[in-house]
Amino acid sequence: MSTGEPGPGLPDGRSPAALSVRGLRKAFGSRLAVGGIDLDIPHGCFFGLVGPNGAGKTTTLGMVTGLLRPDAGLVLVDGIEVWRDPVAAKRRIGVLPEDLRLFDRLTGAELLTYNGLLRGMAPAVVEARARELLEVLGLDEAAGTLVVDYSHGMRKKIALAAALLHAPRVLFLDEPFEAIDPVSARTIRGLLERYTAGGATVVFSSHVMELVERLCDRVGIMHLGHLIAEGPTQQVRAGRTLEDAFVELVGASHAGAEELGWLGTWSA
Amino acid sequence: MAGHLVGLRLALLRNGLRRSSWPQQVGLALGALAGLPLAFGGFLLLALVPRAEPRAGLLLVEVVFLLLFCGWGLFPLLSFAGDASLDPSRLALLPLRPGELVAGLSLAACVGVAPLCTLVALGGAVVGFGTLGPGLVLVVAAVLAQFALCIVGSRALLAALSRQLRSRKARDLVIVVVSVSALAFNLALQVGARLAERLERSDLEALRPLARVLGWLPTGLAARALVDAGQGRLLPATAELAGAALAVLALGWWWWRSLDRVLTTAEPAARRPAARPSPGLFPRPLRRLLPADQRGAVAAKELRYLSRHPRLRVAWLVSSLLGLGLVLFLAVTEDLRRPWMVLASLAMAFLASQNSLNQFGVDGPAYWTQVAAGADPRGDLTGRNLATLLTGAVTTAVLAVVLAAVTGGWLYVPVVLCLGLGVLALSLGVADVVSVRFAYPLPDDASNLWAVQGTGQGCLVGVVQMLAFAAQGVLILPLAVLVVVGLVSWTPALVLVCPLAIGYGLLLWRVGLGLGTSWLSGHQPELLAALSPRRAA
Repeated sequence: MSTGEPGPGLPDGRSPAALSVRGLRKAFGSRLAVGGIDLDIPHGCFFGLVGPNGAGKTTTLGMVTGLLRPDAGLVLVDGIEVWRDPVAAKRRIGVLPEDLRLFDRLTGAELLTYNGLLRGMAPAVVEARARELLEVLGLDEAAGTLVVDYSHGMRKKIALAAALLHAPRVLFLDEPFEAIDPVSARTIRGLLERYTAGGATVVFSSHVMELVERLCDRVGIMHLGHLIAEGPTQQVRAGRTLEDAFVELVGASHAGAEELGWLGTWSA
Repeated sequence: MAGHLVGLRLALLRNGLRRSSWPQQVGLALGALAGLPLAFGGFLLLALVPRAEPRAGLLLVEVVFLLLFCGWGLFPLLSFAGDASLDPSRLALLPLRPGELVAGLSLAACVGVAPLCTLVALGGAVVGFGTLGPGLVLVVAAVLAQFALCIVGSRALLAALSRQLRSRKARDLVIVVVSVSALAFNLALQVGARLAERLERSDLEALRPLARVLGWLPTGLAARALVDAGQGRLLPATAELAGAALAVLALGWWWWRSLDRVLTTAEPAARRPAARPSPGLFPRPLRRLLPADQRGAVAAKELRYLSRHPRLRVAWLVSSLLGLGLVLFLAVTEDLRRPWMVLASLAMAFLASQNSLNQFGVDGPAYWTQVAAGADPRGDLTGRNLATLLTGAVTTAVLAVVLAAVTGGWLYVPVVLCLGLGVLALSLGVADVVSVRFAYPLPDDASNLWAVQGTGQGCLVGVVQMLAFAAQGVLILPLAVLVVVGLVSWTPALVLVCPLAIGYGLLLWRVGLGLGTSWLSGHQPELLAALSPRRAA
């Protein structure tokens, strides 16, 4: 599914990266959500996108995956322009969105079959891969249960399975580890590490700095719609923990501690 | 405490209004206005009929009181998921005793459009039965007892069922049962009104046992107290009123017990769903019929949704019930039992296609799956059409066969099948254009089946659907003319219309599908944005 000639690359003639973004911009009415982002992510990279709530991470991921039309800018996945040739670009992309709206009146297994056939895969291949994914992600017992009855963590896992089903070259994951139990998180981490070792690229957003620091070769920090730092994780950290670097870059509020003095006095 | 709870309910009502866009506010105002005629209708019924027809008075009041009580019991079950003030467990973390809660929630329940309409309708009984004198006090007390029965009974039922109502399966079931019983009630009311027109005095005598049975129900006791007080029989009225008050107290005790249980016992842990094999995306009987590609997958998903999503289940049940109502109507009406009445089953084909005017609505924000997969819009639309065609054709064929059995018009069955396909195809052609250009999401929780999610499109949706309906009507017209010619003057026209209907329907479907596809090809993200209003928020 994911094979094919890479596209022509960026206008400035550089070799095609897994993801290249130039001048990406989106406003909702008068509110600027993403204010002109430039970004290059090489093949085989584990890229972490971090930022406070409302920084524009989800909007950015929506635009680079072809789900949300940008106001301006260029997005190339594996050298193919997402907004000029969406079908070819989407063959190379797997997506796990943040809000997890799924066709939840299907069972887990049915959802995977649906996704596979929607992408034009052969039914036998879909069936074999779906069975394997359900087993690896620990969902085999719940394969016949409606997704609407899944827990939040199970929904994350079935959506991840759907994103992996067609073996995409670039995987975009919005908060993939949120509400996932530690055992499943370790399984998923192992799976993603094996996946990037094979040359695929993973771009994921997260609030968990330790995880990003441990997993990612490169990291981007977003704040108020802008990419305020980007590069190899070591370089962005600059000798500090990633959390310290993040807090320093986005600026933290120190208010609050002294105003809540009454918290130590007990009611009845 | 009572003041706080009343204030909470008022704040929820006010914020609900404030959060809506102005077309929704107009919609809510229209909804309230629609409630008022019902309230005034009830008022007039209770005020005028007893004076005009005193012998029917008691039975009428008994039936109206019982229906009000049932309505108050059933409809809040529907809005349980959407109305935060109905779920007592939301108050579980506050340090409140059940007694305080019963008092406060009772008063809070008296605030809103429904209680106001109920009070207006019940006010009719005071006008209809009240006469100046000591009886008037008892009349008013009887009306208040009925109101209290509605309020306390409704909330007691909600508190008793609150745990079950939070389970997805129970909510799905409630939605289907309440919606279908509302429709059945409406149909029964129509039939009842027809029968009432034919009632003679002797028939009223025949209904007396019914009045006697209803009279022993709590609502019946309130009704009897009302009628007796109105006619000056104060002693029996007082006894009956005491009975109704006891029933209110018993319901209140049940409510108190249920609240106590909800507030003080732990919620049972959610059970792990039992492991079972998945039935497979394609329904078994259609496994060979549907193509194993994108079109087949979309059709199979639509059919699975039809049997599993309460909103679609209700839509399908309602159109089937309307068809069934048609057969019943024909079966009981001598003059309409003509063979050509089999053609009436075409209404089913038309009704089945109406759910397709917003084909993407149930997908809502989950439509991202199609966009992310780069799904071919033509295959997507074809799959959806295929599912509607299958269900519409089957229900139309079944109704045609049943009608043929009633009327003997077997010759018309093949005509219906061909015409049905034509009507479905051309209606789907229109629906393919409308559903991509004017899509709107249906609310997630499905608890309010008639709501339109906050896109500010409420009015626009209504207008567009009316226009689509009119366009479908105009396109069907040539076929209808041929059928009328066939029935009235030139029978071969009925044979001619069969291939014509299929060809004409397919042609229009191809045109509609082409238009829908060409727009959707460049606008899938825009359709996704239309289906997920909160994205842009």
